[in-house]
Amino acid sequence: MRHVTLDGLADYARELLAACEANAGAFPRKSRVELPGLAIDVFSDHGELATALAHGMAAAIAAEPATPARIFLAHPGIGSIPRPALWGEALFHPNMFSERLEANGLRGHYFHDLSYWQFYDVEKRLGVQLMLSADGCPPWEFGAPLRCFLHWEYAARGLRLTHAGTLGKGGKGVLLAGAGGAGKSGTVASGLLAGLDSVGDDYVLVEFDGNRSLTRPLFTTLKQDQAGFDRLGLGRLLPDPGSLNWQGKYQFRVQDLCPRGVADKLDIVALLVPRISGAPLSAITPLARKDALMALAPSGIAQMPGERESGFRFFGELTRRLPCYNLALGTRGNEIAETVAAFLDRGRP
Amino acid sequence: MGYSTIYAVSSNDIVYETFDGDAVVLDLASGRYFGFSDSGSCVWEALIAQVPPASLVGRACGNGQLSAADLDAFIDRLTEYGLLSPATDMASVALSPELAQRLAATREALKIDMHDELADLVMVDPIHDVDEPAGWPAVKQ
Repeated sequence: MRHVTLDGLADYARELLAACEANAGAFPRKSRVELPGLAIDVFSDHGELATALAHGMAAAIAAEPATPARIFLAHPGIGSIPRPALWGEALFHPNMFSERLEANGLRGHYFHDLSYWQFYDVEKRLGVQLMLSADGCPPWEFGAPLRCFLHWEYAARGLRLTHAGTLGKGGKGVLLAGAGGAGKSGTVASGLLAGLDSVGDDYVLVEFDGNRSLTRPLFTTLKQDQAGFDRLGLGRLLPDPGSLNWQGKYQFRVQDLCPRGVADKLDIVALLVPRISGAPLSAITPLARKDALMALAPSGIAQMPGERESGFRFFGELTRRLPCYNLALGTRGNEIAETVAAFLDRGRP
Repeated sequence: MGYSTIYAVSSNDIVYETFDGDAVVLDLASGRYFGFSDSGSCVWEALIAQVPPASLVGRACGNGQLSAADLDAFIDRLTEYGLLSPATDMASVALSPELAQRLAATREALKIDMHDELADLVMVDPIHDVDEPAGWPAVKQ
């Protein structure tokens, strides 16, 4: 079995990318994923990951110019694709791993439990995700396929995959930031049920356009645990929600809650940091920018391999541009949605 | 601590942003975040601008005067956390009137808060440091 360490890392990445290109014709499935400014040809096998790609990605506006990219979701059962190498005895430090690849124009990630490698050549816009089998990826990939590749590609353009939820009305929107369990997804689902728009509840694309901060959709999936599912009464819309995912949550799509689906984009006017308060009524109160950054940046940076300093700078700039507020969540979903809608109407609490 | 010592940010892994006078620092290598009180933010800004501690002692700050002992303790924390190091080849810079004014207007004592909730996810060696049966991200104790 081949072992890789920092010294041979970039060579290994280039070898895998070349092997995928040489085996392109052997991949059983080829699909196109069209996202904001990006048209990705994805070469894969059949299976659950391919299904997630077909149903979980947000479609871009058709007329928008898009840069082509290619990503191979590979495993040793396809053509002469090699088995994934293992990491050697040398220290594995994610920061050093990223730095070594970045010095060679590459981005990458390794998940040792599954011998799972991802590499991306930023200049060629060429990526490989090497797994032991067709669906041999970490369980969270099914909710946000290609997440790391999108992170690397958009970061290279000065945009940012951001760990936040969104709600909007009339083209204006708020970002909902905070660690898992803060109430982002429940707030987004409540808003959608009440007629508000959203471009996503977990990962969204943020870009600066002059003085504006725009957010666009990448994924259409929403998640709720059993308690949230029951509290929001989602059973009447999703009588057969399927099985729970790796987090113990049901996974469904924005269009399951509202026929119009995800919004094309929202012009973000504020950053809200939700927290479950236990009080009957929701309340929006000012929040210091440093506290807003602490809510927004850490999880987004820790969950995305590489590009950590640029991420900190980006989130710093985003926090600096937007008014920041606490959102103390009430106990009823429709009341939360009314509170956010009223905030969007007034542009202030 | 030498009161004439000039300090500098320890490495390129230390990055920081300032919002309305409040500093937030991230150590990219360790994944630890740091937040300061209002006076702590001013002193951090002064120190990384090469203002020697001697220029800060006795200044109005946080409803009192900045004592040598408090400043000592604060700089000790900054160096223990790996955020600041003595810089031997740098010239001292005078405290700017604007920063002196901000320091005088502060209301909180010198303080730094460290947040390391996500540090394991950023810095741990997931291959050699994790608890094998539990797998990543359960870190070996």
